Amino acid sequence: MLLCDFHIHTTYSDGSVNLRRTVDLFGQAGFDVIAITDHVVNGDNTMGRLAHKLKFSVREDNFDEYMGRIRQEAERAWDKYGLLIIPGVEISKNHLSADKSAHFILLDIKEFIPACWDYKRIFTEAKEQDALIIACHPHHMSDLSRDTLFLWNNRERYAKYIDAWEIANRDDVFNVISLKKYPYIANSDFHKVRHIYSWKTLLNCEKKIEPVKQCIRHNKGVAITLFRR
Amino acid sequence: MEIFWFFAGFTILGLIGYGFQIIAVRSQISSLNAGEGQAPPLSPYLPPISVLKPLKGIDDNLFDNLESFCMQDYPEFEIIFSLQDHNDLAYKVARKIKEKYPDRDISIVVERCDDGLNPKVNNLIPACRASKYRYILVSDSNVLVDRDYLKEIVKHMQDPAVGLVSNMIKGVGGRTSGSIFENLHLNSFVLGSVCFLDRFLKMPCVVGKSMLMRKSDLEAIGGFKAVKDVLAEDYIIGKKMKEAGRRVVLSNYMINTVNKHWGMKNFLNRHTRWGKLRWKIGGIQYVSELITNAVFMSFIPILLYKPSRITIAFALFTSLLKIMGDLYLGRIMKADIKFPFYMLSPVKDIAIGCIWVIPLLSNTVVWRGNRYTIGKASLLSPCAENSRWRYRIADVIKARFA
Repeated sequence: MLLCDFHIHTTYSDGSVNLRRTVDLFGQAGFDVIAITDHVVNGDNTMGRLAHKLKFSVREDNFDEYMGRIRQEAERAWDKYGLLIIPGVEISKNHLSADKSAHFILLDIKEFIPACWDYKRIFTEAKEQDALIIACHPHHMSDLSRDTLFLWNNRERYAKYIDAWEIANRDDVFNVISLKKYPYIANSDFHKVRHIYSWKTLLNCEKKIEPVKQCIRHNKGVAITLFRR
Repeated sequence: MEIFWFFAGFTILGLIGYGFQIIAVRSQISSLNAGEGQAPPLSPYLPPISVLKPLKGIDDNLFDNLESFCMQDYPEFEIIFSLQDHNDLAYKVARKIKEKYPDRDISIVVERCDDGLNPKVNNLIPACRASKYRYILVSDSNVLVDRDYLKEIVKHMQDPAVGLVSNMIKGVGGRTSGSIFENLHLNSFVLGSVCFLDRFLKMPCVVGKSMLMRKSDLEAIGGFKAVKDVLAEDYIIGKKMKEAGRRVVLSNYMINTVNKHWGMKNFLNRHTRWGKLRWKIGGIQYVSELITNAVFMSFIPILLYKPSRITIAFALFTSLLKIMGDLYLGRIMKADIKFPFYMLSPVKDIAIGCIWVIPLLSNTVVWRGNRYTIGKASLLSPCAENSRWRYRIADVIKARFA
């Protein structure tokens, strides 16, 4: 089984550990597959503009550099640790109301997609790029300040676009995902070193990008595990 | 004012003691350059070695630490990674290392061993059984070594009187406050004390990060089973070796202990545990640790006495001397601690002084997730979860009001 974490932030957005150190941290701990998924924040409201100002978001002008650095690190990680790195972003539609906010990962993205586009347009563009769409922390979390409920509240409309839902995020478990029988994975939402000890995904597939994506999409050979000291 | 002079006397005593520690470290390191204590290089003595790596959980830098053993410039050796179960987080890392170095003689022993109460020894018993060579090297999972490590330490074994070789240790890689404190303490107090005891008092003080022995010598003192129920298995092995008439050598080859992401809690927990261990082994000698903590001693008059210009100036001057001493030690051992972090050295010493008293009040230790009661000579006995002090106090209160 491959030990995986598909939700990791670095200093390219609001993570506290830079990309190289993040890769080393996961490599040293024996991970098989990780995805670097820094925030792409909507810049169409005050919160979003503030995130852009504070450089807590990957932007269109630094997206190529971001992807280039991930590719470099992916090569190094593969040679040194046998660690597969998948590039991605976390589209972050932040609003004051939790009901209007949504975060979702686009895994194996190729071109920049702005977070201020409407949902349907983003999902369609992501599908065209053959990226995987994963709904992040879709239900109520223990940290009340960052609930993102839009996708869950509008699941009838958007579930068809979503390849997997986070059934567990860091310390939280969302049993509603299993009750609805949605495809699931579990991630750390890594921002700080200590977040490495959190829920993770185990995949029974080949250690290559396409088989990993297929495994998540079909949700066969997927398990979750709590990675802790 | 008498209080001030009383503590000032102890502070000066502590600074003199620290000075001797610095001299001991310096002479130990310089003997490396001068070749003192090393066997004459007539013919290279390179017997096959079994490296035993007991693993439990993920240590900082684990992959690189284990990999550094696979990159040894040594003709014949095996590496045995030993774990209690397949679900241990370190198992995956050990597997990856084995896959990365298919040409190396690496085996992974996964065996639940409940022979004793010391989890490290429980890991070592099956590993030792699986080892095939005459020489065994016990090495902790947070140890990072250079390519010539095996070649350098095995030289001492050319002398048949030598029973055990341990190493000088250096804390490296600190990135958080806890790990910087840990590395500062390892590179000053721990290394200084080990070298001082070895050079001046001729007392073996084995630190279990690295222990090279002949299997026959270990078996002669009862094997790992003889230390299965003690916390300080390294110290006891060294003591038993000496009692058996074998020489215990502190190699001047320095190994790295990687502490990168430690929290302050880890630092305080470890040194409380080590303090309890030294209290149970050394008894009244443990008091000398407080007296030789010059910085802590220099600050006591400020707390007990009205802060005055002289008490504050004295404490600051002592702190400055300690910082300079630590800086000097760091320089001679080529430590990777950045200059500004040495300013934290007095704060670390005060923290160590504050936790000094805990071993006198409590005899329970938590190590790698297990809780024990620690007795004389660090003998362990099981400790039920509900015998934590707060529960014990609750029990006393309940009993009183029942």
